[in-house]
Amino acid sequence: MEVKHLTEHYDKDGYATIKGYQKLGGYENLKKALKMKPLDIINEVKASGLRGRGGAGFPTGVKWGFLPNNGEPRYLLCNADEGEPGTYKDRLMMERAPHQLIEGMIISAFAIGSPKSYIYIRGEYFYPKSIVEKALREAYDNGLLGKNILGSGFNHDMDIYSGAGAYICGEETGMISSLEGKKGQPKLKPPFPAIQGYLGKPTIVNNVETLAAVTLVIRDGAAAFRKQGTEKSPGTKLFSLSGNVVKPGNYEVPLGYKLIDLINIEGGGLKPGRKLKAVIPGGSSAKILNKEESEKATLDYECLAQMDTMLGSGAVIVIDDTNCMVDLLGVLMHFYHHESCGQCTPCREGTGWLEKLVNGIKSGQGKLQDIDLIETVARNMCGRTICALSDAAAFPAMSFVLKFRDEFEFFVREGRSKIKGTSYAKMHH
Amino acid sequence: MFKLSNKGTEFVKNELSRYESRRSAILPCLTLAQEENGGYINAEIISYLAHLMDIPESQIQEVFMFYTMYNKKPVGKFHVQVCCNISCAMNGGRELVQHLTKEFRVNDGEVTSDGNFSFSRVECLGACGGAPMMQVNEEYHENLTPEKAVHVLKNMAKGNSHGS
Amino acid sequence: MPKCTINGKEIEVKDGTTIMEAFYQKEVPIAHYCYHPGLSIAGVCRLCMVEIEGMPRTQIACNTKITEGMKISNVSDKAKDSVKWALDFHLINHPLDCPICDQAGECGLQEQYMHFGKYEPEMGQGKVKKRKVVDLGERVVLDTERCILCSRCVRFTDEVSKTNELGIFNRGDRSEVGTFQDKPLNNNYSVNTVDICPVGALTAKDFRFKQRVWLLKNRESICTGCSTGCNVNVYFNKGGVYRLKPKYNSDVNGHWMCDKGRDTYKHLNVEARLTKGKKTEEGKTTECDAGELAKQTAQLIEKIKKEGGGDSIGLIVTAQYSNEEYAAMFELFKIKLGSNNVFYWINNQKTFEAFDGLLYRGDKNPNTKGLLRALSKCKFDQTWDKLEEKIKAKQLKIVVVLGPENQEVYPDISEKLKLLNSVDNVVWLTTNQVLGTELLKSCWQIPVKSTIEKSGTYINFKGLEQKIKPVTNIVSGALTLTEAAALFAGDEIPFDSKTPVKGERVWNEFFHHRGDL
Repeated sequence: MEVKHLTEHYDKDGYATIKGYQKLGGYENLKKALKMKPLDIINEVKASGLRGRGGAGFPTGVKWGFLPNNGEPRYLLCNADEGEPGTYKDRLMMERAPHQLIEGMIISAFAIGSPKSYIYIRGEYFYPKSIVEKALREAYDNGLLGKNILGSGFNHDMDIYSGAGAYICGEETGMISSLEGKKGQPKLKPPFPAIQGYLGKPTIVNNVETLAAVTLVIRDGAAAFRKQGTEKSPGTKLFSLSGNVVKPGNYEVPLGYKLIDLINIEGGGLKPGRKLKAVIPGGSSAKILNKEESEKATLDYECLAQMDTMLGSGAVIVIDDTNCMVDLLGVLMHFYHHESCGQCTPCREGTGWLEKLVNGIKSGQGKLQDIDLIETVARNMCGRTICALSDAAAFPAMSFVLKFRDEFEFFVREGRSKIKGTSYAKMHH
Repeated sequence: MFKLSNKGTEFVKNELSRYESRRSAILPCLTLAQEENGGYINAEIISYLAHLMDIPESQIQEVFMFYTMYNKKPVGKFHVQVCCNISCAMNGGRELVQHLTKEFRVNDGEVTSDGNFSFSRVECLGACGGAPMMQVNEEYHENLTPEKAVHVLKNMAKGNSHGS
Repeated sequence: MPKCTINGKEIEVKDGTTIMEAFYQKEVPIAHYCYHPGLSIAGVCRLCMVEIEGMPRTQIACNTKITEGMKISNVSDKAKDSVKWALDFHLINHPLDCPICDQAGECGLQEQYMHFGKYEPEMGQGKVKKRKVVDLGERVVLDTERCILCSRCVRFTDEVSKTNELGIFNRGDRSEVGTFQDKPLNNNYSVNTVDICPVGALTAKDFRFKQRVWLLKNRESICTGCSTGCNVNVYFNKGGVYRLKPKYNSDVNGHWMCDKGRDTYKHLNVEARLTKGKKTEEGKTTECDAGELAKQTAQLIEKIKKEGGGDSIGLIVTAQYSNEEYAAMFELFKIKLGSNNVFYWINNQKTFEAFDGLLYRGDKNPNTKGLLRALSKCKFDQTWDKLEEKIKAKQLKIVVVLGPENQEVYPDISEKLKLLNSVDNVVWLTTNQVLGTELLKSCWQIPVKSTIEKSGTYINFKGLEQKIKPVTNIVSGALTLTEAAALFAGDEIPFDSKTPVKGERVWNEFFHHRGDL
């Protein structure tokens, strides 16, 4: 069952405007927070166990705690460069509840002592950006941003920055490079952004949903926040359900919710006559789960980690039995090849190599050893680069080959897909 | 000779002082220049911006070549980008773009002879719940069928800007 | 001062030292392409992978700081596997065209694949095609297909020359290094990008296809192009000198040198040199042995001294010679000949103080400081006006000129020749044929050795003494100024001496032991 905490008012008219938002209790959390000590807010967020909703799942309060106390200005950046295939929750949040995000950001900025924040929105999100822009103006007009916010003495400015089309800018240091007006190439770590981020200054980067959820932690307190979810994955989370389900959409459920329930209850199951074949549980970079695994999985960080995949951004991509796995891996490998920034050699070269290997099989030119080579190349792309894109490309490659090896072998042997009537087969045969 | 409008020049000036570093103005200024140039950017524009912004050409060129939203060649009045990433691929995104290029008699990446349309396959646009989808200029169109997409685009060509 | 072990050997390093720096300090070989000690850390080639005990993954040495007790290996199976794979990824799209590549023999990629025995790339599919033979102006040629995108050259133009011409355009395996619209890379430091390019992507127009590098030897010397005195390696063989490359010296030039300095080898080669003594008298030129001509000069000087005293003998000095040579020549004039007529020929005085902020200085002489020191020690303080006066008054019967080795930076040579036209006897000591000497009434040109053919000490703009040894011999009959001074004094010396021990001794006596003269 959905548990709507963050999204409680998303379907109400006018919630995206300041009046509508305030009517339903908006900015009360900010008032409350401004009366708290910044350190108490950080501790409350730490106690809530809120984990980053962008993909890595790193505990938010802990991340904030990494900031050095050296008197340098620190920046808060909201990562709204939603680009992980399968993910479209941040877009919804910005369109329906921009003030929830802004409120969460002001509270977070106050907690970490930041005078300036940016919302980095992917360039293609023209409409969500226009909504957030309007909300930002309203916030300024109502004394919620700028000098001496609500008489608290806290000053904070917030601005929006648009991306221009690059998946890698969703990686926090890629985003920082982009905001600095450069190619969105991730930065070498260490130093981590909390120490040296935007323009070399201490910087915190949090996802849209994470920052919005800070309002819940302030409103209800850490203990109440923890009532939902599991011990290690507290709270609720938005899941973007897509693929072969009857009712794709964004659903807010408690962490620890059963994956199969999300598909069957919220998603309305599969189309008549179709069978579940696989699920990618956390955006295209997560390792794929086969049917049996999908039926057992719960949507929390620890269960999915145990199943050697990840919760990621919460993008659940449902794949039914009409899909050819060789074809779908080809789609994904094309994507990572297209999006590799090109800095680190293993990723730059490996993503192209993987696409060529899969395409070789798809074109009927593949050899059996190519299947092993996909696995070997992918394995040697893991953990050897500046950022996780290389791993993100390798994970689907390794898991597709491991779990659906029969389809790859069939393709090599027969020169055609094992799955009849797939969209791919229709196009090419 | 490319030249920004007065408003555009003013925008560039503002962007240069808007952020903590002048270089941050590169992305928004390229976006603006593309808009004023009818949808794409060429070398002349890069040189022009470099001069106007007092930023090395190589730095602007790096940005221009890195991001996909800067078009490297002319696009149609309606630039149609069809998502072919996983959720859309499973729901007919690739067939959709094939259908559209056939229907409007144009190759991928080229502009129709009337200048109205250009089509390209793109990666995930964050509308996976509405697959298949396309982006026409700045607007998303979701839950498409080939027929519906053609209908929307033809309406646009007739001057109905939202296509419905 | 954390202690750690590298491949089992315990070492102690300064706080903040990276693993890469420790490998360098201990001279333990470690493969790397993007790391360069003179540039910021990029961490992109992923070749410097090392295994650190207790860490599940191999780490890059260039960006990992050493902490107490770290056990580091780049020879463990795990480390070697990481490096091998990093190499595989480098090779799959590389053209592997070593036989026609000018970098062969000094290529990082070639070195590594030979080390790992990877003569065939792992990828069977077609390689990414990129642009070849891109002309980047006067000095540099680019092959983007050979480029491994280490970004060293881009970081160089961003961080060192600060000229920002280079960039890496596009992304993924379509990335290409280059300049905007192939604009020329015409900054005065452009060839450094060639030096630091680990592969054959950037090659120098001046050097490419002239010699295979394994046919060259190299020895240390200094650049004589300006008063900075950049340390260089001179690459040469029997055919002469082929190129100069900077040699690291933290006190002088760091890792770099300028393009103009690189050109200074050109006047060293035999084609440009004066190889025989030349006597031009009343329009007629005869050739003879350098030593012979020096002896004749000695006789002439002696005659003139007897007739008109030491002050009828003049000396014009350029700042292109070594301390030892000045010492020998000045001792001759001051003590043996009793002449105070020593005049300092300053070239392009207007730009003398100019400096580009990096290395290149307006003073185009390697030893101005040394010359000034020698002049002041001997109290030779006559101005050029005085020389002109004395020539007009016919007080000078003979003038010996220590001509510039690098004549290109002496644009006023013809003007000086005009002045000397009214002197009865001119003896011009020079490495290269001096154009226009035939206009003089009488001019004897004696070939002298160039900087790289002799040992000597030079003092750079900031007073740093740099002692160099001979690199090679190009004109065997030529003399050093020390030898010439000895011959002028009537001494016998063996002509083939490469080390002018005497000059060195004289310099030491002159400047370190004796008081004022």
